[in-house]
This record gives sequence, C-alpha cells and structure tokens, in this order.
Amino acid sequence: MPTEYLQQIAETNSWVAIGPELALGILALLLLALEVLLPKVAHGAIPRIAVIGQLAILASLLWGGMSDVGTGEAFGGMIRFDETGQIFRIFFLITSVFVSYLGMVSLDRKTLPQIEYFHILLVVTAALMLLAQANHFVMLFVALETATVGFYILVSYFRDTVVSLEAGLKYLIMGALSSAILLFGIVLLYGAGSNPALMGSSTDPMNFGNLTRFLSANPADTLGLLGMLFVLSGIAFKIGAFPFQIWVPDVYQGAPIPTTTLLAIGSKAAGFAMLMRLVDVFAPLGDWMYPLLSALAVLTIMFGNLAALTQRNLKRLMGLSGVSHAGFLMLGVIASRTVEWAGTAVMFYLFAYLLASIAVFAVMAHIDGASDSELSLDDLGNLAKRNGFLGLALAVGIGSLAGIPPLAGFIGKLLIFVATFQAEQYGLLGVAVVGVVVSIYYYFGVIKAAFFETWRFSEDEEETAEPVPGSRLGFFGKLAIVAVVAGSIVIGFYQAPLSSMLAGG
Amino acid sequence: MIGLEHYIVVSSLLFSIGFFGVLLRKNTLAIYMCLELMLNAANLALVAFSRYHGGMGGNVFVFFIITVAAAEVAVGLAIIVALFRKRQTVEVEELNTLKD
Repeated sequence: MPTEYLQQIAETNSWVAIGPELALGILALLLLALEVLLPKVAHGAIPRIAVIGQLAILASLLWGGMSDVGTGEAFGGMIRFDETGQIFRIFFLITSVFVSYLGMVSLDRKTLPQIEYFHILLVVTAALMLLAQANHFVMLFVALETATVGFYILVSYFRDTVVSLEAGLKYLIMGALSSAILLFGIVLLYGAGSNPALMGSSTDPMNFGNLTRFLSANPADTLGLLGMLFVLSGIAFKIGAFPFQIWVPDVYQGAPIPTTTLLAIGSKAAGFAMLMRLVDVFAPLGDWMYPLLSALAVLTIMFGNLAALTQRNLKRLMGLSGVSHAGFLMLGVIASRTVEWAGTAVMFYLFAYLLASIAVFAVMAHIDGASDSELSLDDLGNLAKRNGFLGLALAVGIGSLAGIPPLAGFIGKLLIFVATFQAEQYGLLGVAVVGVVVSIYYYFGVIKAAFFETWRFSEDEEETAEPVPGSRLGFFGKLAIVAVVAGSIVIGFYQAPLSSMLAGG
Repeated sequence: MIGLEHYIVVSSLLFSIGFFGVLLRKNTLAIYMCLELMLNAANLALVAFSRYHGGMGGNVFVFFIITVAAAEVAVGLAIIVALFRKRQTVEVEELNTLKD
C-alpha cells in the first residue's frame, strides 16, 4: 500500500508549475558559485547578474500571465495554484528586484561581504512566493520559516554596527515567539480535525480543504476556535497589526535600508497572502473571526497613526505608518466576507503601497550618511533644492502613501473604503477616515521638511560640506526611481490594465 | 491510565512556561531556551494527537519542526554571539540602543 500511495502523490508533482521558485533557488546558488569562480575584480558584476536573472524570471511570469497558472492542487495537496497566488508571486518578484537594487546602493558603502545578501534575498523571495500558494499547514509553516530565518540574517546583516545586530536580536525573539504561537495553533487545529470521534474529521486535517470541511461540521469546537485564534495571532505579527506591532519601529530603524524595504513590503504582503487564504479556510468560524479582525483593524489604524505623529526618525515613521496601512488592508480583508471584489481592492492597495514605499526608501538610500539608522526629518532639509529629482520622487511617494489624488495610493484607499461601505461596516469606515486625516499631518511633515523648511532658514550659515545627495545615482538608479514614480502617477490616472490583471481578466 | 488529555495538559504547561519565560526573563539565552521550549511543546502535542487519533501527518510534521528549529538556533546564536562581541552583554535591559 505505501508504495502505491507514494506513487499517487508523486503523480501530482508538477515541477514546471513552480518553475519560477526553482529558478530563483538555482540563481541564488549560482551567485555563490560565481563568487568562488570569478576573479575578485569581477565581483561587482554578481549583483547585476542577480538583478538580470530576477528580471528574466519576472518576464517569464508576466509572459505566461494569468492563463498559464497551473491548475488546482499539486504535490499531494501541498500547493494550490490560483490567480491570487500568481499575483502575489509577481508582487514578491517585483519587490525583490527593487530591494536588490537598493542593496547594491547600500552595500557599496560597506566593507562587508556582499554576495550573501543577494543569495539570502533570493531564497527569501522564493519562500515568500511558495508561501502565497500554500494549501497545507506544513507547507505554510516551512515556507514561512524559510523566509523568517532569512529575514533574521538580513536584518542583522550590518554586523559591524550595534543597531543592526540589536534589531536582528529583537526581530529574532519576536519572530520566533510568533512562529511558536502560530505553530501551536496549527497543532491545536490538527488535534481537533483529526479526532475520529467528531464529524468531518480526516487523517490529514492540516490540508486547508479538509480543515474547512471539518470546521463547517463543528463550528463550535473549542480546540478549533483556540487554534484559529493562535494562527491569526501569528499572522498579525507578520503584518504588524496591533497588539503585535511592538517590534516594528525598533527593527525598521536598526535594519539596513534594503532590508527595511523588504520587511515593509514583502513581509507585510506575505502576511496578507496568508490572511486572505486563511479567512476562506476559517470561514465557518466567521462569527468569531470577523469581529476579532475588526477590533484589531480599528486598534491598528489608531495606534499606527497616533504613534507616527511625533516621530522624527524617518525609518520609524515609515514603520509606524506601515502599521496603519496594515489596518487599512485588514478592512479590505474584512469586507471580502460579503463584497466579492474586496480581495482585488486589497491587492490593488498592496501594489500602490509597493510603488510608493519603494520611491520613499530609494530616496532614503540615496541621502543617508554614514549611519542609516539615524536618518531623521532634519536630514531631508533642502532636499528639493539640493536634488530636485530625489525631492520629486519623495513627494510622489509620500503623497501616494498619504492618499493624495490623483496618485495610486488615493485610488487604493478609495477602493478599500468603497468595499467597506458596501459591506455596511460604517463604524470601521469612520475610523479609517479619521486615520487618513491624521496620517496626512505626519506625511506632510515629511514633505514640509524636504521642501519648505530651509526656505525659512535660508539666511543661516552656508551649507556645510555635506555629500551631495544622490551623487551615486547611476543611470539604472534613475531608471528604477522613474519607474516607481511613473507607476504611482499612471496607476492613479488609469487603472484599467492593473485592475484587469488583478481581477484575473 | 495515561490518556491523550495528560499529554495535552503537559504540552500546554510547557507552552505557557515558555511563553511567560520569553516575556519575563532578562537574559537573552534564557529567552532563547524558552522559545525552544514552546516549539517542543508543539512537538509533544503533535506526537500525542498523532498517536491517539491515528494518522502519520503529525509525526512527519515533527521532523519538519525539528529541522526548522535547528536552523533558527544556528542563526539566533550567531546573532547573539556577534552582539556579545560588540556589547559584552546579553541582558535585555542593557540592549537599548534603539530608542525613540
């Protein structure tokens, strides 16, 4: 019997369908091999090879488009291919390309080994892509841990500075804690779903389909409810939702800028990829889950915005504003219970957030001095005059994050709000609107620091001999920033291509 | 007669000890051991559920968890050692460079 069973499972393996992840893994190994094989003078080319390889994989994914999505479940039910998973794959790859670029900018100033950064980045990206398609708790846990352990290294990568190591330690403790809670939740769900005395139990309740069947047969099972609570807590940590957001400001501040970017975008999106799959799995428990999520969303929006108000440190500000963005995204997830297209709105918001955040972090990577954790609003002084290009990029990025029309962030917020309105969650909508109003205050603090402040102080002593911001902007650096800025503007005006892609058209 | 519930009670106790240990202990290494304790509490519960409910899924998952925990320990101890070399301390209260 066992051999036949194994054969049956082996027949569902479709290696071609996870080609992009395999290609990323091979590329990651290739980088290490090249470091050994190439002479030292040629090492500068290796990060470029990483970027080119990722662009090629991205192109092949986009070329295949939505039609080429593998169908249904594969690998014995471990993975399920669908359009949402496909979009998240594209999302994570785009993130990884830009993070690689920022990594090239930031690592150039350090004497640390460089290649390993790109190696781990690629492995983390492949794990995130698999995570978005997981259909089984074993797959979800292993993919999540592969990404998380990679994150520990990336956060503490600047090991010659205390802040980076300390941020790494804080992320390690909080990350391992949340993983353990998530894992215990999985175990409880397994224990509930495998109980042969209950209706709908199965020998493999960690499979999402089997678990949903079990939960709809026993919606009041105590173990099942506890398990859901624990699993959602673990995910709340990933997306930085209240009350699991305490790590966000410290870790964002201490981590190298490229890693902060990956945390802000990749880790958050991974959390939402999991959350969007799991709200379907836990749908039979909706009467407990949705009030819980609503309460978390309200607290997350309030906390993120209020804590960001007094922040002067740019990275902490981005972290705390990211907490409030997680709250807005949760509104979309909550609305998806009754409004069918709310999932699309969440993904649209994520793409708008991606473009805007990359613009802001790219500007930060170019203006930071020796220590990138101390970057504060004062360092932005006169940025618009010192480098108009970076000033414009910052204004568009911050404007889009704040939701100023006609930028992409505005449309993203609008879609989420309309979905919340259609789901008749008027209380949540009210909190969200207040949150947006508050957020405009601190976002404009950033723009004010970059554009206006120095006009008032222009009679002060001459600029000290600071390095010119953006002096290291090469052609590709400009191209990357132009791409995200143009993306934010174009999507703000004309949403048809992106929304048709997100809707699976 | 020792039944499933005994294992689950022990596992929950281990998990709670680990959880509160992480929150309350001051030494990074002690915190790290508490984290491992939480993972092992999950392992114990998995094996017990697997044994008493039938089905091998839980037993197999335990191997994945052990592997993941080993990777986590390797990275975690490396970070702690690197930090100790810089700061000569592993007490949480003294690791306060990151502040508002």
